[in-house]
Order: sequence, then C-alpha cells, then structure tokens
Amino acid sequence: MDFFSSMNVSSSALTAERTRMNLISSNLANANATRTPEGGPYKRKDAVFAATPVETRFNRALDNATGREVRQVEVMQIIEDQSQPRMQFDPSHPDANPQGYVAMPNVNVVEEMADMINATRTYEANVTAVQAAKSMALKTLEISK
Amino acid sequence: MPVEGIFTNTIEILGKSIDLRARNQNLISSNVANAETPNYVPKSLVFEDELQGALKGGSKGTPAITNARHIPLKGTGSRLQSVTGRVVETPSKSPGMDGNSVEIENEMSKMAENQIMYNASVQILSKKFEGIKTALREGK
Repeated sequence: MDFFSSMNVSSSALTAERTRMNLISSNLANANATRTPEGGPYKRKDAVFAATPVETRFNRALDNATGREVRQVEVMQIIEDQSQPRMQFDPSHPDANPQGYVAMPNVNVVEEMADMINATRTYEANVTAVQAAKSMALKTLEISK
Repeated sequence: MPVEGIFTNTIEILGKSIDLRARNQNLISSNVANAETPNYVPKSLVFEDELQGALKGGSKGTPAITNARHIPLKGTGSRLQSVTGRVVETPSKSPGMDGNSVEIENEMSKMAENQIMYNASVQILSKKFEGIKTALREGK
C-alpha cells in the first residue's frame, strides 16, 4: 500500500484519456477527408479501454488484498468504426461516383464534441484524484513537525 | 489508569485509520481511472464497523475484555493490527450501456470525504504528539 500506486493508477487514466482526446481531434480534423492512404474516406477511430491489475513487485510480495483490487486503465486497442460512409450528393467532386454521390467519413461531429466533453471531464476528475493523493501524502509528512 | 506507556491506544487507532484511509484512496483512484472502462464495477473499502468492533473488544476470534481485571489474551493493539477492512463492490443502480457502473459524482464526493477524514486523523495524531512534547518540556 502506498500513495504512489494511487498516483500511478490516476496517471494511467490521464494517458488513456489523452489518447482518446487525440483520436477525437483526429476524427474532427478528418470529418471531411475523402481520401486516405488506405483508400476510401476516413473512418472514425475509437479507443477501447480495459481495466488491468496494478502488478508491482511490492504488491506481490505483500500479497495485499486491497492492492489486488486496484485496477489501472489501459488503451487496449484502437478500433476503426466500420459503419457505412455518409453519402453526400456533389457531382462536381472529383471523388464522386457515377451517380454523383461522394462517400464522406462516417464521423458525426456532434457526437465527437460530446465525447470530447466527456474525455475532458474524466481527465479533470483524475487530475483531482492525483492532487488528493499528493496532498494526503504531504499531510503525512506533517506528523510530529 | 492502566500502564500503557505514554503512547496510548489512540495513537495506534489513528495510525490504523490513516493506513486504511490510504488504502481506500487507492480504490477510489482506481474507480475514477476506470470511469470510462466497459464492464467495470467500482469497489470500496469498508472498515468502520470492524475498527469499532476492535475497539470494543468484540472483534472476531479475540476474547472481549468485559472486566478491568481480565488479562488480555491478545491486546487491543494486536486486535487493531488484525483490522484490514473488506473490499466491497459498490455498483450504481443504473449501469451505463457499456456495463460500466461508476458514478463519477459519487466517487469524487467519496474521495473528498476520505481525504478530509485522513487529514483529520493526521491532525489529531500530530496534536497528540505535540501534547506529549509539551509534557516532556514541562509545559514550557
């Protein structure tokens, strides 16, 4: 048991949320990109989070029950949204099909904005958790001062 | 007053309380970190009743001291040592569509409470030591 594992858990979440934020930025930036190196329009990307145990040698040695229950978060996978591209009528577009429709990325801007607010708030919650752990650890040093 | 030395029971209780609060902080951090993880169920450390039981002497497996002339088989100290708390799952009433049942507001308020109680224990402990120091300095 130590405060540093608490801080490590929170910072793993900060990393995960930042990864998610990067993906959201990428989705928003490419909301109108019809060409990609793989061919076809840009596909929306999303992160898959997984709770993983904090395996420190300290925890293992102590066989600490509380320590075993503590989970950090990891980005396990980055998936591409396989839903159909949005078809937009624009015959003058160079990527238009014979019927005059252009395959646009399957990115819903409103959805991305909502996800972004979610990621920001979760990030802030984790920053608060780090601050709490830090202030508690510093408070301990005040004993018998 | 029984001879317990200058470091009374209080110091041990406060130490235990600080230890358990720190463990609880780890679990709360874990819940906040996994606020977006599918199928995650939040956990919490429950120890208040166990700690109180240890103080009253009715803790599991240890004989209670109901008379001042009883000889403690295991002192309150060792009874306190055995308090570890238990980890319970605290899922919300309405888990999200991804199976995650963390309520971030709940976790944040639990964290604030835990932090305040931790700081309170630390403060009382340092006041306790301060009192001993004052006595050692003959009140000067």
